[in-house]
Amino acid sequence: MIRLIEVTKNFADFSLKNISLEISPGEYFVVLGPSGAGKTLLLELLAGLLEPDKGRVEGIKPEKVALIYQDYMLFPHLNVQENIGYGLKLRKIPPQEQRAKLKKIATELEIEHLLQRAVTTLSGGEKQRVAIARALILQPEILLLDEPTAALDHRVRRQIQHLFARLHRQYQQTFIHVTHDFEEALALGERIALLFKGEIIQVGSPQDIFRSPASKEAANFLGYKNVFSGRISNHYFEINGVSILTTVKEAERAHCVLNSNEIIISRRKFSSSARNSFRGQIKEIFPRLATTEVVVDIGVDLAVDITPQSFQEMQLKIGDEVYVTFKTTSVKVYEY
Amino acid sequence: MRFRAIFGFLGFLLVLFVALPVLRMVWEAGGGQMLEVTKAPEVRSAIFLTLRASLWATLLALFFGVPLAYFLARVDFKGKKVIESLIDLPVVIPHTAAGIALLLVWGRHSLLTRATGLTVVGTEVGITLAMLFVSLPFLVNGAKEGFRLVDVRLENTARTLGASPFQAFWTVALPLAKKSILSGSIMMWARGISEFGAVVILAYHPMTASVLIFERFQNFGLQEATPVAALLLIVSLVVIIVLRVIVDRNRAKKND
Repeated sequence: MIRLIEVTKNFADFSLKNISLEISPGEYFVVLGPSGAGKTLLLELLAGLLEPDKGRVEGIKPEKVALIYQDYMLFPHLNVQENIGYGLKLRKIPPQEQRAKLKKIATELEIEHLLQRAVTTLSGGEKQRVAIARALILQPEILLLDEPTAALDHRVRRQIQHLFARLHRQYQQTFIHVTHDFEEALALGERIALLFKGEIIQVGSPQDIFRSPASKEAANFLGYKNVFSGRISNHYFEINGVSILTTVKEAERAHCVLNSNEIIISRRKFSSSARNSFRGQIKEIFPRLATTEVVVDIGVDLAVDITPQSFQEMQLKIGDEVYVTFKTTSVKVYEY
Repeated sequence: MRFRAIFGFLGFLLVLFVALPVLRMVWEAGGGQMLEVTKAPEVRSAIFLTLRASLWATLLALFFGVPLAYFLARVDFKGKKVIESLIDLPVVIPHTAAGIALLLVWGRHSLLTRATGLTVVGTEVGITLAMLFVSLPFLVNGAKEGFRLVDVRLENTARTLGASPFQAFWTVALPLAKKSILSGSIMMWARGISEFGAVVILAYHPMTASVLIFERFQNFGLQEATPVAALLLIVSLVVIIVLRVIVDRNRAKKND
């Protein structure tokens, strides 16, 4: 078990405050947060490159950790083969064994044809594979990944994500992957920690995190479109003359977050157990790849995501009068 | 095109400003006379002494200055600006002042002379120390810039791959900063060769080329000083060009 116990660290322009985390062996753990949150600093602490100012890091042997930085950090004065073999050479592994290991990992990562190339001539995806090979050849127990796909284009990013998923299944190592991309976190993480401004604000399964973000910032960051601030009295959240029923009785100051996927749009009033139903007018329509976003003005602008099929069937246009309906439990309330 | 022509012309004037006296001096000295002075033992030994002492100074600066440069590039600490300014100081002060300052600590009965047992005044050691003092900023600053350009994450990566901090320095930072260190070394060596002010105060004898030229000028005038000056100039120019070519060829190989 890897444990961070109340770890605090200030370094250059970044800081981590009182971080406590437990990560199980073999887990794919994702740290999700915007840039500047201190994600790289966290990895450098885990790798033993830095010492915490306060607190402790337990359960990690630096020699069993490999860190892969965002820009791959291939050694520019060495070719691909020399890069991958760097750690073996340091360990004075016999040359024959080095070659065998090198061949195996190069085949695994489909980079045999690159071995003699200068690293400056590689594409982003190739560089990433070389960096992974250089780390995996040493059979680390823990792999630390710093924004491993941030510099890649969409297609290659998917390939590398699939590669990580496969490697994790295959080698059963602990992966600790930091990213600012919540889709990547959702796709890969068994558990996710949200890191904001140097603090862990939530840890949980992807479902937990995305269904109930722990704060307004988290909701905004996770791409929630409906985030409102106001006050709740007698269960009603009041905003611009709209009264939204919530599960919270009273709150002087609260943020309400409404998942755009959990709102139903209809031409006629929708009869259901859902207690929140409002009449409004369609203000904007944004077609996207998997969903169509319809912005309905019910006194405040409410973003609703529906499938392109439903959108077609309902033949919605800007200016149409529609009803929007959602459950009381779909309204997440964060008091502050 | 006109823009480039104007800049080219302005630059050409400056090049002329440097080239004209040089060419004039070589012309004045004449091939025969220069050949003549190469045969004079005192001229030869002065030139060799100059090249050698400056080389010692550069090697000393490599041994102590590369660690210093790495330290300054990687570590932030209070008073760093003061240290960096101190390193730059020899560039700013008149070198005669530097010579006097050195004489105060390395003079016959001074502190460091007694502590180390080195005889500095009037020896090759003194010449080396004078050259080291005034020209080390070129090497230290060059190396420091070189290390600064090496992403610290490259060394961190080496460390997570099993390198000790020293191994990370030796196998990653040093090879990547090599070119800057070599350039700095060449600049330092060249600067050492040209040194006069500090050397003349610490060691008038044995005579370096610059002191010999000064002596001949003082005692016998232009006629005697010019061929030696021209010779030193040509030797220095050849050495610098050869070293630059070697360094550039090294760099070109790396980029293949």
